[in-house]
Amino acid sequence: MAEITFSEITKVFDGNVTAVDRLDLHVAEGEFMVLVGPSGCGKTTALRMLAGLEEISSGTLSIGGRVVNNVLPKDRDVAMVFQNYALYPHMSVAQNMGFALKVRKEPKVEIERKVAEAAGILRLSEYLDRRPKALSGGQRQRVAMGRAIVRSPQAFLMDEPLSNLDAQLRVEMRLEIARIQRLLGVATVYVTHDQIEAMTMGDRVAVMRGGQLQQVAPPQQLYDFPANEFVAGFMGSPPMNLLRARAVIFENRPAVTLGSQRVVVPDRYTASHDLVRPDGDELVLGIRPEDIEIVEGDGGLSLETRVERCEALGSEILVHLSLAGASETVSSLAYDADVAVSRLPVLVARVGPQSRVTVGDTLRVRLNDERLHFFDARSGVSLRRETP
Amino acid sequence: MTELETLERATPTERPSRSRLVRRGVLFAVMVGVALVMLYPFWVMTVNSLKSQNQFLAGRGFSWSSWRTLTSTIPIVQEVISSTIICAVSITLILAVGLPAGFAFAKLRFRASTAIFLAIVSAMMVPLQAILMPEFVNITRLGLTGGYTGAVLVYAALGTPFSVFLFATYFRGVPDELIEAGIVDGLGYFGALWRLVVPIAIPAIATVTVLQFIQIWDDLLVGLLFIQNTSERPITVGLAVLAAGRTTSIPALMAGSLVSALPAMAVYLIFQRYLVKGLTMGIDR
Repeated sequence: MAEITFSEITKVFDGNVTAVDRLDLHVAEGEFMVLVGPSGCGKTTALRMLAGLEEISSGTLSIGGRVVNNVLPKDRDVAMVFQNYALYPHMSVAQNMGFALKVRKEPKVEIERKVAEAAGILRLSEYLDRRPKALSGGQRQRVAMGRAIVRSPQAFLMDEPLSNLDAQLRVEMRLEIARIQRLLGVATVYVTHDQIEAMTMGDRVAVMRGGQLQQVAPPQQLYDFPANEFVAGFMGSPPMNLLRARAVIFENRPAVTLGSQRVVVPDRYTASHDLVRPDGDELVLGIRPEDIEIVEGDGGLSLETRVERCEALGSEILVHLSLAGASETVSSLAYDADVAVSRLPVLVARVGPQSRVTVGDTLRVRLNDERLHFFDARSGVSLRRETP
Repeated sequence: MTELETLERATPTERPSRSRLVRRGVLFAVMVGVALVMLYPFWVMTVNSLKSQNQFLAGRGFSWSSWRTLTSTIPIVQEVISSTIICAVSITLILAVGLPAGFAFAKLRFRASTAIFLAIVSAMMVPLQAILMPEFVNITRLGLTGGYTGAVLVYAALGTPFSVFLFATYFRGVPDELIEAGIVDGLGYFGALWRLVVPIAIPAIATVTVLQFIQIWDDLLVGLLFIQNTSERPITVGLAVLAAGRTTSIPALMAGSLVSALPAMAVYLIFQRYLVKGLTMGIDR
């Protein structure tokens, strides 16, 4: 068991493609760290550098206090679970699991004991003699886990281990992996592009984009206090609504205008956020779909909207709303394939299944005034002065 | 309802199944025809080897005399052993070079790998006859034209490009993660090659072995030119000597050909279940 430290780690591939850019990340002993981000964000490259499968261009990587930049993979004492499991097709389940120990020339009795123990944890005891070909996807996944467990390594590295499973099995294995990790207490770096896995499994989540670390925080903190627009738009499904707005002063208080509509910023934000901006300066207002409520009449932070589309999901309805009186200057942001694109100003609200909304209705919605987010329009950075 | 419909449509089954039967029948007839064409020479060989020269000319009778002629005219056992040694050593060399080279071309990134690979593969296009004379000069200068060595080197050189190509293609189908898993599990590149890649490559190894065995075993030219010690010459050369005699005994030649054909067939039969896999280059995942 050990801690892992990435310090200014950079990876530049041939042709000057920077896959990972000065990554600083610390994974504590026993911690479950999830690296999440869209494809091409550098998360897998970071993991492969940690495994020793990719050379480090610059920076220092240490495992358990030992700098491992030039240490061979076999001497790093880390175990890796691959996306396609990479089971050895010519070996039985037991041989697959015990292979690393056999390579280290551990006594046969000891190998058998460790394999049996891991098989017990993973509920694989009855499949030990089978070849990988004769196993289901979920069982193969567990064998891949078993191969990592038997070694009792300093760290587990997992590269999208659930992405080849069907939805239901993925939910099961999500819990299973988290359970095993807690049981063994081994530092784990888990790479995924699935933000639900990130939210549910990690002690902390590191969001990456374009090779750069965006934010590291426990899942709920990441959700409640995103450091920038990208994190806000990436975490959560449907993502946070991000509206381009203009800062104005209304009756000596900071406010924002969305087209012809004005929202006066509640006083509590003036202390925690840097909202004193030149009149007409652009900023981004963020609001989560669950923080939008349909209301009767005027009151509080409310906006006039029109229902454009309804998606009934059974347990809830996602209502797509357009802002009344919104001109071209107002637009919402969406992170599509890692690029921020401006869309027509649409708000997605999450409402109860009993709500009677039909396309074309004009609705007044209230924004939860305790859960507004403000970002700088140019840098995308949160205007919050400090993260709680 | 859909089930009922399919049932109803399926009940008057005569028509589709009859056409399928006809198709199968035709296919079967074609296969039988091909098999006959293939087996006929073998049958002729077997039957005629069991006749004396006179019985052969008369077209009937049975005798072991041609087998006695064969064994007394040429050292057939010695020649079979020679052929076996030449094949075994050549194929071992071809595998020993082709397998790691194929792995390197498929899995390692190094400068000019594509150019070198193309150069090696293009060597496959060069026919034996084109390089025979220069090779002969080279091998003679090295003083290796007496025994097996010269011939083995020529066969290995001729067979290696194909085996490099086949192994490289095969290993490209092996996922990188498999080797990486081995490396994280504590193997070096050679360890991964030996303990993970070789076991997976058995179909490719079998394919190279069978194809090269048949080619080398059946080859006359190299043996004739490069092996000048009579005690080390292979069976094909022995048969050529038999055929070149003043009075050629056709039944004895048939017997010799039969002896020469059997090992190649045996090797093919032993490895044939891998052969299909190797040639289709698949890997079960």
